[in-house]
Amino acid sequence: MLARAVTHALVGLDARRVEVEAHVQSGLPSFRIVGLADRACQEARERVRSGIAAAELEFPEGRVTVNLAPAELRKEGSGFDLPIALALLAASRQVPRDRLQGHAAVGELALDGRLRRVGGVLAVAEAARRHGLERILCPRDSAQEATLAGIEPVPVRHLADAVAYLRGEHQPEPVPPPARGETPALADLADVRGQERARRALEIAAAGGHNLLLGGPPGTGKTMLARRLPGILPPLDEEAALEVTRIHSVAGLLPTDQPLLEHPPFRAPHHSASTAAIVGGGPGIRPGEASLAHRGVLLLDELAEFARPSLEALRQPLEDGYVSVARAAGRAVFPARFQLVGTMNLCPCGARGDPLVECTCSAQRLARYRDKLSRALLDRFDLVLAVPRARAEELAAPRAEPSAAVRARVVAARERLRAGAPERVPEADALLSNAVERLPLSGRGRARVARVAGTIAALAAADSVLPEHVAEALAYRAPQELAA
Amino acid sequence: MNELALALYASESGTHLVDAPRGVAWAGHLQRFDERSARARLAEKGFRFLGRSDPGFPPLLGAIHDPPAGLFFRGGAEPELLARPAVAVVGARACSGYGATVARGLGRDLAAAGLVVVSGLARGVDAEAHRGALEAGGITVAVLGCGIDRDYPAAHAELARRIAETGLVVSEYAPGVEPAPWRFPARNRIVAGLAAATIVVEARERSGALITADLALEEGREVFAVPGEITSSLSAGTNALLKLGASPLTAATDVLASFGIEPEPPAPRHELLEHLPATADELTRRTGLPAPEIARTLVDLELAGLVSAADGLYRASP
Ligand SMILES: Nc1ncnc2c1ncn2[C@@H]1O[C@H](COP(=O)(O)OP(=O)(O)O)[C@@H](O)[C@H]1O
Ligand SMILES: [Mg+2]
Ligand SMILES: [Zn+2]
Repeated sequence: MLARAVTHALVGLDARRVEVEAHVQSGLPSFRIVGLADRACQEARERVRSGIAAAELEFPEGRVTVNLAPAELRKEGSGFDLPIALALLAASRQVPRDRLQGHAAVGELALDGRLRRVGGVLAVAEAARRHGLERILCPRDSAQEATLAGIEPVPVRHLADAVAYLRGEHQPEPVPPPARGETPALADLADVRGQERARRALEIAAAGGHNLLLGGPPGTGKTMLARRLPGILPPLDEEAALEVTRIHSVAGLLPTDQPLLEHPPFRAPHHSASTAAIVGGGPGIRPGEASLAHRGVLLLDELAEFARPSLEALRQPLEDGYVSVARAAGRAVFPARFQLVGTMNLCPCGARGDPLVECTCSAQRLARYRDKLSRALLDRFDLVLAVPRARAEELAAPRAEPSAAVRARVVAARERLRAGAPERVPEADALLSNAVERLPLSGRGRARVARVAGTIAALAAADSVLPEHVAEALAYRAPQELAA
Repeated sequence: MNELALALYASESGTHLVDAPRGVAWAGHLQRFDERSARARLAEKGFRFLGRSDPGFPPLLGAIHDPPAGLFFRGGAEPELLARPAVAVVGARACSGYGATVARGLGRDLAAAGLVVVSGLARGVDAEAHRGALEAGGITVAVLGCGIDRDYPAAHAELARRIAETGLVVSEYAPGVEPAPWRFPARNRIVAGLAAATIVVEARERSGALITADLALEEGREVFAVPGEITSSLSAGTNALLKLGASPLTAATDVLASFGIEPEPPAPRHELLEHLPATADELTRRTGLPAPEIARTLVDLELAGLVSAADGLYRASP
């Protein structure tokens, strides 16, 4: 007897339709899963066998074969447990076959038959909807996530619930719509004393989506400032929120009760993180930090401590806005359009930028440190800022403007920029050309200054870019000693 | 004696030679030497050679006690340029922001006054002096401690290219000679030898810049030292020079005066300059002006050559 359940296998962020065919024949008892299943997927046998027993149902007698079709598509993970179990139960007439075929199913089984959440439910639910299915059987904890796909979730706590529902003995419990509109509690700029220039640069970076590099001696508040960037960014629009949620879902990082991520994500990997952890790849298909920061902020705190290959690997996403990860079968593509913020000391001993301490670095050590920041990476920072040590008087400065006030200006500037970047008046162009000759500024440097000047004009609500906007933008260019 | 033959021989054998040596190696070298093809090989790569007895050879360098057999050149300018009044600006490679600012400002002001700024293309003070001269649209000369075809350090390849556009890159070493630390003192004698005056901006004790200053003193050239903080080891060398009788340099005009160049009457000073050195944020607090306005004003002053920044600290240019 043959029965079929439908689910979807993740390929990067996409899900492709997979038919789970269960075939029960007479013969010596056996249970095989065929169709390019990975190890986690092969282990479904134990979980399904045990789960069916726990639900007080019969594991089919005889030769049991489960085929995951199409066979050439690699099946990864434990989300196939539920569809496999249901297909087996249908093949042994314990649930109605026709009813099962109108549903998608996804979820991992615990040995006691309970359902566990898996990553990527949003992508799976979206694919199910695209294929014309109206309902998806999924773990209770994933149900709110599934509603985001515009499909009706059937929340299931235990395999027995799924069976009862398919037999028509049990109505699914209603799924409350996901909570919305609550912004997470973020660190506030009001805590940062002094540092007027860095605060201003942070605001410009937020308004223009510019990459920002903060260099200075330890303890000047670089990390503190960088962590306050998300708090002055506008919330994501609907489409971006879904995109970000899809990525975090695949990584298994969504909160249960508020699955839609409406705020730009903030990721700050430690410098000891592997290249795979940062850009994605490795044995699984987990998106890396660069993709988890998609449409948000990627902070590389102590940039110079990161391994050179990790920094080099970031060049592709910085250039193209996506990461393509090699897999056994072909490649998976994850979006990775993030705003990069870096912090670093100005020299290995850290004294540079501190008026009270003398740098003890040798010329070679200094050169090696600066060379680590390759030209190509440095070229990606529109704003480069020295954050020197604040003297005592500055830390006694009064509490400053809170993030909410800054965010209001950022939102207004973004609105203006969306309507089109302002044009430079001829005098502003002349100043830019003069600077290129005198400073010196590379062609790329010129383009960066021009971009930043446009953002400054938008913050000033000016209709065109004036010389004063270009002049200020020039103050945030990469200094000679780093540009080498 | 053929000076090109001697220069190539010295480069090949790695020896410091003022006059032709005795011995069969040199005799054999001379026998194989073909001047026409040697010059053609140089010209092919855009290099030139000027022997020490050629009329265009820089007279000051020819006058030191161990002049090189000649100099290899690359760059757009004529070697005669080296006969113009020149100042050497040297100092620490790992200089402080203070040293960088001073070197940059001196390079700019001396070049703007028409002096040729000579240095060694090294990191730190050397590079800043070259850059300052270029900023002023003046002439600067880089002396290499390796073959004329090498860019050392490699990070300064672009700087060398810009120097060669209007000035010269020179070396006593033929193409192919690798950079080696033991050649740097020899390079320093050429830096000092080309210049009527040598300025030491920042130097630790027993550092290369002090060797250059010693060589200049031995040749009876004027030596200036930039005073530094007595607590900074980067100023230990320069302060020691001052004790020994070097002229203290507190403004570019000190050097210009020794060349008999009248300084321009000082322009009225911008009010912000009175608060320097300071960070941008300190200026915000001291003047009460908002950060964006301070940023703009500082850039205007930078473009006018009145201010320079290093590691977040702004200083008035010397
Ligand atoms: N401008 C500032 N305003 C308030 N606190 C500051 C400031 N700068 C530094 N601090 C304090 O010093 C600590 C270290 O700052 P941090 O951001 O980690 O420095 P950095 O990253 O530059 O080494 C912060 O946690 C904060 O308590
Ligand atoms: Mg930090
Ligand atoms: Zn240091």
